[in-house]
Amino acid sequence: MALLIKELTLICVLTLLGASFSIFSGLTQPPWSASELEAGEIHQVDAEVINPIWVDARPEVDYETAHIEGALSLNDSNWDSQIFDLMGAWLESPQPIVVYCSSASCDTSKQIAERLRMDLPDAEIYSLHGGWQP
Amino acid sequence: MKIHAFIPLATLIARLSIAGTFISAALPKIKAPTEFAVSIEGFELIHSPLVHWVALLLPWLELIIGIGLIVPMIRKVSGALIAGLLILFIGLHASAWQRGLDISCGCFGTEAEPTTNYSLLILRNLLLLAATCFVLFRDLKANRATSKIAI
Repeated sequence: MALLIKELTLICVLTLLGASFSIFSGLTQPPWSASELEAGEIHQVDAEVINPIWVDARPEVDYETAHIEGALSLNDSNWDSQIFDLMGAWLESPQPIVVYCSSASCDTSKQIAERLRMDLPDAEIYSLHGGWQP
Repeated sequence: MKIHAFIPLATLIARLSIAGTFISAALPKIKAPTEFAVSIEGFELIHSPLVHWVALLLPWLELIIGIGLIVPMIRKVSGALIAGLLILFIGLHASAWQRGLDISCGCFGTEAEPTTNYSLLILRNLLLLAATCFVLFRDLKANRATSKIAI
């Protein structure tokens, strides 16, 4: 019995070491930080489940380099030309809208989400917690 | 030649097949935990933040016990944990099937197929479970024989 407990302990320790490697190597964010959501934010894992309309709030040059598949580019500089594309997409299929920028520290997605809430008051709009990196 | 002569070879093949399955299932999920978390959420049984813990720990556990099944020092407990996980997976898939969920299995990380063929999945896990029980039985029998010799 003691031997089995020893084996089980060894497996648990190795599993925890592996999980620590995932966190410290940047493969995943720590699960305890995943719960710190501000109002109007959503985790990527939850966003992918609701199959939203993605809005890329980063500069257009970053959007051209890489973006989430199907995402529309919308930021302060291209607002007037792009907002109608987004409105059209939302009217055609009124799904939730998730706005993302490049990292947890960028604030653009929150600002764009806030601005969108004024233009599309009936839409369900979130900003992506932690941002998106290609 | 008696059938008993083939049992060690069958045990080795079963052991390597189960270990290979668990290791190959774990690696893509370790590399892409977010995608795995999405698959877990699809089962609609647990939600954030628990889903992030499961997506972080389960692939590593699968990898360790997959390797553990071929390491003599920890193979008995690894076998028991693999059997336990397979029973859990069978239950989860049966539950999702019964609720009519149209989801991706997530068994091997990001998968091309959008939906799961539940009957095939449950059959595969039942076969793996049978093979695991066989390997576990052989390990316990070998362990008892070693203990008797030691006495």
